[in-house]
Amino acid sequence: MSDMVDNKKYKSKSRNALIGKILVYVILLIITIIMIIPFLWMLSASIKSDREVFMMNPFVWIPEVPKWDNYAKIWTKIPMLKFVENTVLLTIVVTFLQLLTSSFAAYSFAKLEFKHKNGLFLAYIATIAMPWQVYMVPQFIMMRSMGLNDKLMAMICLQAFSAFGVFLMKQFYEGIPSELCEAARIDGMSEYKIYAKIMLPLSKPALSTLTIFTFVSTWNDYLGPLIYLKTESKKTIQLGLKMFIGQYSSEYGLIMAGSVLSLIPVIIVFLCLQKYFVEGVASTGLKG
Amino acid sequence: MDEKKAAQIKKLETESAALMQKIREESDIKKKQKLIAEREKKQRKLTAIRNNRILSREAKRDLVAYSFIAPNFIGFAVFTLIPIVFAFVLAFMNWDGSNEITFVGFDNFMKLPSDTFFVAALKNTMIYVVGTVPLTMIASLALAIVLNQKIIARGLFRTVAFFPYVASLVAITAVWSMIFHPSKGPINYLLLTVFGVPQENLPKWFSGSLVLVTLILFSVWKYMGYYMVIYLAGLQGISAELYEAGSLDGANTWQKFKYITWPQLRSTTFFVVVMLTINCFKVYDIAVMLAGGSDGKLSTSATVLVYYIYQNAFNYWDLGYSSAIAMVLFLIVLAVTLVQFRYEKKLEA
Amino acid sequence: MKKKVLSVLLSATMLTGLLAGCGSDGGAQTSENTADNTQTQTDAAADTNTDAAAETKEDETQTDAAATDANAGDAAGEAVTLKWAIWDKDTTPYWNALKEAYEAANPNVTLEMVDLGSADYMTVLATELSGSGSDFDVVTIKDVPGYATLVSKNTLEPLDSYISAAGIDLSQYGGVDKQVTVDGSLYELPFRNDFWVVFYNKDIFDAAGVDYPTNDMTFEEYDALARQVADPTFGSQIYGTHYHTWRSAVQLFGVLDGQHSILDGEYDFFKPYYEMVLNQENDQICRNYADLSAEGLHYSAAFSSGDVAMMNMGSWYISTLISSLANGEYDSSLCGNWGLVKYPHADGVEAGSTLGTITGLAVTSVSANKDAAFAFVEWVSGAEGAKVMAETGNFPALMNDEVAGIIAGLEGFPTDEASKEALSVSNLYLEVPYAENVSQINDILDTYHKSIMNQEVTIDEGIASMNEEVGKVLGQ
Repeated sequence: MSDMVDNKKYKSKSRNALIGKILVYVILLIITIIMIIPFLWMLSASIKSDREVFMMNPFVWIPEVPKWDNYAKIWTKIPMLKFVENTVLLTIVVTFLQLLTSSFAAYSFAKLEFKHKNGLFLAYIATIAMPWQVYMVPQFIMMRSMGLNDKLMAMICLQAFSAFGVFLMKQFYEGIPSELCEAARIDGMSEYKIYAKIMLPLSKPALSTLTIFTFVSTWNDYLGPLIYLKTESKKTIQLGLKMFIGQYSSEYGLIMAGSVLSLIPVIIVFLCLQKYFVEGVASTGLKG
Repeated sequence: MDEKKAAQIKKLETESAALMQKIREESDIKKKQKLIAEREKKQRKLTAIRNNRILSREAKRDLVAYSFIAPNFIGFAVFTLIPIVFAFVLAFMNWDGSNEITFVGFDNFMKLPSDTFFVAALKNTMIYVVGTVPLTMIASLALAIVLNQKIIARGLFRTVAFFPYVASLVAITAVWSMIFHPSKGPINYLLLTVFGVPQENLPKWFSGSLVLVTLILFSVWKYMGYYMVIYLAGLQGISAELYEAGSLDGANTWQKFKYITWPQLRSTTFFVVVMLTINCFKVYDIAVMLAGGSDGKLSTSATVLVYYIYQNAFNYWDLGYSSAIAMVLFLIVLAVTLVQFRYEKKLEA
Repeated sequence: MKKKVLSVLLSATMLTGLLAGCGSDGGAQTSENTADNTQTQTDAAADTNTDAAAETKEDETQTDAAATDANAGDAAGEAVTLKWAIWDKDTTPYWNALKEAYEAANPNVTLEMVDLGSADYMTVLATELSGSGSDFDVVTIKDVPGYATLVSKNTLEPLDSYISAAGIDLSQYGGVDKQVTVDGSLYELPFRNDFWVVFYNKDIFDAAGVDYPTNDMTFEEYDALARQVADPTFGSQIYGTHYHTWRSAVQLFGVLDGQHSILDGEYDFFKPYYEMVLNQENDQICRNYADLSAEGLHYSAAFSSGDVAMMNMGSWYISTLISSLANGEYDSSLCGNWGLVKYPHADGVEAGSTLGTITGLAVTSVSANKDAAFAFVEWVSGAEGAKVMAETGNFPALMNDEVAGIIAGLEGFPTDEASKEALSVSNLYLEVPYAENVSQINDILDTYHKSIMNQEVTIDEGIASMNEEVGKVLGQ
């Protein structure tokens, strides 16, 4: 008797599980479509002529005569190369400085004892909750008085020393057992050596996570460059793209080609580092 | 030199002795401990001088630590901390960036309630936050739970969900304004042909009361992948044993979620909600790019706080007033964060 | 220790404020005031305040030294370099033409052009000129709100004494100078003067068998013409008119009678024109504002795609049309056969009144070579500059028959008589005349223009809001 009930239960359970699985896949599929469609549209429109872009009846993803020259034309219509150059330079320098100085400072906060440690760290934490927009105007006035207005240097100063990076790296380092450092100290290693030889090699996931965050936010930043970079030869790809959209509003194909180009570098960086990504977020205690 | 050293040693010795005396006399334990610590400090200094070390061990230790912090902290202090202090001061001033700064007390703040554009910006920002925060949270949690299961092509799905976050705003808003184009876009085309919405009733996604809805939808779409990753990390921290125990007790999926997943994710949810709130209050570029049209100007139906801060600072050069608005923004964010903190504390207790 | 860190931070903050505030002539005084104010604000900083004061003194001496240098460089005849702020150097032909012509006539002067880009030009310029560190001598003034900002920030030099010394007759500018006079002083001299006309596509009128627009149309006739030529058939849509998203393109029809101005604070006179345009929109005579705004359609893209019969736009579009057709950027089968006529006018008002926008040159108050700078400004805004402007297809502020003849004679300019005649203007009203708070007024009108055109509010509600909000600004 009881056997039969169990069996029934089991059967219905496995059927439920199957329905659940199907449901999960259906939901996933819908979400994936919603997530990916704008990108497919972008790719598709980037090889269409302006008239084809909004043609709905019939709608085709790939036009009969793909206009590949949209991708060639974009480089001559606006100084795209200059914009890419500026953005690449900016992003690389900022990411590098961010990784270096944050992990450096974070090591100290996580593994060393010193005066005013809590006070200093509190200063970092407090500013995470402070939207940048609150102090962007005074910051701009200050930068201008330092002669940094309309200089890429201003953007570097602005983005390279974020509290967020220090916080993230510190959380990660705290997860590394202190005994490792203690042992090294007994062996007579200096703190700098411990940092370079022991901590840094262990922090790949955290560094990857921070790289993705910094790279993405620097590459895609708009308001910062809008305030600081004025001359055309100093503008970043985001400003350039926006300017292009303003000037050539109805050349949809070209706009989309420019957009596709602006996505490629971030997507490459993301794909290269993503295998560390969830692990990185998990180990940096970003989850709370 | 030696004389000086001798004098120093002498001085420290007498002080130390005096402290010793005090310690003996002191009855209050706390005060006593304090005095003992003080004496120890003196003693250490004494040994340092006797052993011919210029720096005490503690000072040396501090210096090493500071040398680690310095590269970041100097940049951080100069480019973040100082401007923040400056922003606080500026909110009470009247300044156009060139002429004299004058102190005006709370005048800037007094003007706010009667400023139609400020009130509209505040209202829109609030609506945006209230709409975006819960929706994004729910969507990202659901996505994380689904993508935490053992399914085919999990990595691919995760990557795709994260794509919108990585994509640049300028590019992706350009796509959105094409897809949601009021008369030519595919969304409205579907509404017209498949759902039979009459042409004159087709939604104008980027103007009027709908514009905030579009902004909210866009933000959920763009940022849910980011918060999904944070939730995923949180989910991986929940031990499998808890679920096994739950299964043994005959809990169904919903019960497992309610009694295991949700409570276990509490601190993650707290973090997500706080970060979401802070980020939502900062909304600017999304609004300008989706609702700003060709000149990037926002009408009262779409204006947001940061836009008005920018406008006052860089178009009217009313830096004091713009700082005052920024302070309001900060105080709101601070208040919301503190409320969430207290709520979290209460749950913990 | 904590207190000390705080006070160091505070004093550093003040110092930055001081440094930033030292740019103008009253720099030293400004700084001291700042220090005082900050002192009352922050007790914690009291002990470091003396340091800040010392810094101020140092700064003062530096300013003095700079001033002495400036005087030394003023001697005439010596080689001078003038730094000149402009926009879009590569796509705007007249900057270089002006530079070359002036340098040829004045070999001792070198002009150094700095391109600040046309998007947000005035904002960028205001940023450049405020505070310390600016070294521009001559700046181009693109619009009046930006001009008002620069004047109120004391960054421009009043030109009155120079003008009277040079004996310039301001009446040659046809009264526009009065619309940018600030408390009796003039801070810029106009060198370029654009006015609004109606561009039309002759092919569309021919195909529809409708007569071309004329130089003497009332608004009723204009509206009727637009409706006549329009074709709302889906797929082969022809728009009778096109209004760009700027508020000037719609609401400023209202100021052409000479009785009203956007500085009035009372805007009921906009109403008939909003009604006309919105009715056209509802009847699909012109493109929908919401669409235009969503896609950010540029007016040149609208006209050159060959489905717009008439478009009101500034005369700057003439040179763009001519050159874009010549270099093949525009398809001449779509918009190659174009013409222009004068703006329509209200009943009972003489034809030929239109809106204008001036571009001027100003001398900065920090310039070390003010005399040389003014000499350049005088030349550009005078007869020689006017000729250079006209030869590049642009309208100089100093408009006369000869100049109009040069432009009408350009290759690619329509050959019909009406188009030539359309270039003569009887009354010119600036899109934005000077007022102290003109930036704010401008933005308020922009905002509610948007709301009205998006049909978020009714015309009456929108105008009521304009009246109320501008009233607040004017009442301040």
